[in-house]
Amino acid sequence: MSLILVGMNHKTAPLEIRERLSITCEDGSDPLAEVLRTPGVEEALFLSTCNRVEILARAGSREAAEGLYGFVFRYGNLERQEMDRCLYTHYDREAVRHLFRVTSSLDSLVMGEPQILGQVKDAYRLSVERKATGAVLNKLLHHAFRTAKRIRTETGIAANAVSVSFAAVELAKKIFGSLRGKTILLIGAGEMSELAARHLIGQGAPRILVVNRTHARAVSMAEEFRGEAVPFDELARALQEADIVISSTGAAGWVVTAPMVASALRRRKNRLLFLIDIAVPRDIDPAAGDIDNVYLYNIDHLQEVVDENVRGRLAEARKAEDIVAEELDRYEGWFHTLEVVPTIVSLREKMDGIVQGEMERVSSWLEGLSDADRERVQILASSIVNKILHDPITGLKEESQENGAAAYAEALRRLFRLDGEK
Amino acid sequence: MDILVFKAALAAYLFSALGYIASLLVKRVHVARIATWLLAAAFVIHAGALVLRFMAIGRAPVVGLHDMHSLIAWIMTGVYLAFQFKTKTRVLGVFVAPVAFLVMVTASAGLGGTVTASPKLEHSLVTIHVILSLAGEALFVLAALAGLMYLIQDKRIKEKKISRFSRFLPPLTDLDRINELCLLWGFPLLTLGVLTGSIWARVVWGSAWQWDAKMIWTLLAWVIFALLLHQRLAIGWRGRKAALYSVAALLVLLLTFVMEKSFFTTVHRFL
Repeated sequence: MSLILVGMNHKTAPLEIRERLSITCEDGSDPLAEVLRTPGVEEALFLSTCNRVEILARAGSREAAEGLYGFVFRYGNLERQEMDRCLYTHYDREAVRHLFRVTSSLDSLVMGEPQILGQVKDAYRLSVERKATGAVLNKLLHHAFRTAKRIRTETGIAANAVSVSFAAVELAKKIFGSLRGKTILLIGAGEMSELAARHLIGQGAPRILVVNRTHARAVSMAEEFRGEAVPFDELARALQEADIVISSTGAAGWVVTAPMVASALRRRKNRLLFLIDIAVPRDIDPAAGDIDNVYLYNIDHLQEVVDENVRGRLAEARKAEDIVAEELDRYEGWFHTLEVVPTIVSLREKMDGIVQGEMERVSSWLEGLSDADRERVQILASSIVNKILHDPITGLKEESQENGAAAYAEALRRLFRLDGEK
Repeated sequence: MDILVFKAALAAYLFSALGYIASLLVKRVHVARIATWLLAAAFVIHAGALVLRFMAIGRAPVVGLHDMHSLIAWIMTGVYLAFQFKTKTRVLGVFVAPVAFLVMVTASAGLGGTVTASPKLEHSLVTIHVILSLAGEALFVLAALAGLMYLIQDKRIKEKKISRFSRFLPPLTDLDRINELCLLWGFPLLTLGVLTGSIWARVVWGSAWQWDAKMIWTLLAWVIFALLLHQRLAIGWRGRKAALYSVAALLVLLLTFVMEKSFFTTVHRFL
């Protein structure tokens, strides 16, 4: 019995190859059924996201991997050579490790992003609905989810923003705490400023003001955000009302000068003001950042915060890898016991059968005994069997948890002829 | 008996302080939560110790080094706990719990000693005077602590150094609000404390004001905080400036306090 994991991710395969595989898969076909049809495969999970394609299977032997390659080959329309470069294959312990790492987002493009856990859960749900999973994959996937959860709570791998717009939100929270009831002022338009604004709205900031040199654009953008368009010459008033300002105009000079900010601050009774300048060239006079209660961040500052956070995540990743290794050992212990369980069961069955047979053989002699004596003989026979079996069974379980006991199980099956008379 | 309970409270303060410091190191909220409960336990045990002390000496335990320091720690803890339940900001406890513990340690120096207080002090007005003044001053200490944390956090954000430590600190607006609330509550309490004190002084000495170091010190505190509160409410001082001045005000007060203790005799020294 083997676990096989065949896959490709953003590190091993370029986008065009990944998308070829995932597009074909969405094309009304049924990849999971196809995987299950592969000879030797007994349980399967098929995961496809924009960054990876992974096939996890439990099969009678490792040879089934060839069949899985064939599947990828047909679906991806790939040359064999190309495929060898892009695909990785992991067996047993390494397959489990890979699954744990993927689920915990250690293998993601942006490490620590939580989406992948949901995607694995979806893939698992699909497998369960299709009855494609059994005892081994069920246990394995639940263990993977538990590991991911443990890593999220015990390490800081998912803490702190790793995108510029989220870094802006995080800073806003460091300044204001809750963003409820805060007013956001957008100066100029731009993809990144809209993204940041959306994140801020998502955190509960209810009021949006939009200023643009072209008032018509301000009006249309205000409609989009259900905000208010403010004429450009009333920028000073808008500064007085806003708590968070995001500026991204294409202007050459300062759009917001330090004296403007200073006078706005006086009029707003020194309420804190967070200025985010994501324009290049810059819109906001850097001197504005020196004023008390004003916090000015430009695009480079935000990028520094992001870089710092990424470094922090990398440090946390080392802790996460330790947790993966620990959980891997735990799972392997269970998996190996599982390996010897059928052998133990059939060994017992065989012995019980022998006792039963022998008792029947001497039944005429037994009839001469009293009920109590007959019972004593029965008990004697069973306890002899139990005593004989005790050491090998415990030994087998122990071996299986420490070193893997496939060879012992195999020997037992052969010596006791547990797989039927050959 | 009161000594035993006092020692139990002392131990609870110690564990709470250690808990808060540990929560800072391991960055886990539930550790801080445990520390908070330990502090609440310390507060309750300490209250028991104060009651027993009251019964043992037959008057309110507000006079003498041991009783004063014990009371300061108790009131400071009570004020902080009340605050914490109101604002849900645990991080101040990292400062408050160890300070309360240290004050308790100084209090235990005079443990078990009996103070023969002048009969003039056996008046309920004295008890009220001491408790109100201490509560007001405890709130000012908290205001300054919040201000100190504000300054640290402000500097970090200004300099774009969002280190791990600053992540543990609460948001600026929350710290500013704590500072404001402490001033708003501390000021009337101190005012009432000063008033009750001077009423009693008038009854006993025939004059509400004596040129006494401690009185001058307290009046100075009162004026500084009145000024701060006025600036906050009327002029709109908030954020960095308010934080800076609360810290500076506390430093001035501590300095005068130390000076007074070392160089002057005072009618507030009753031993």
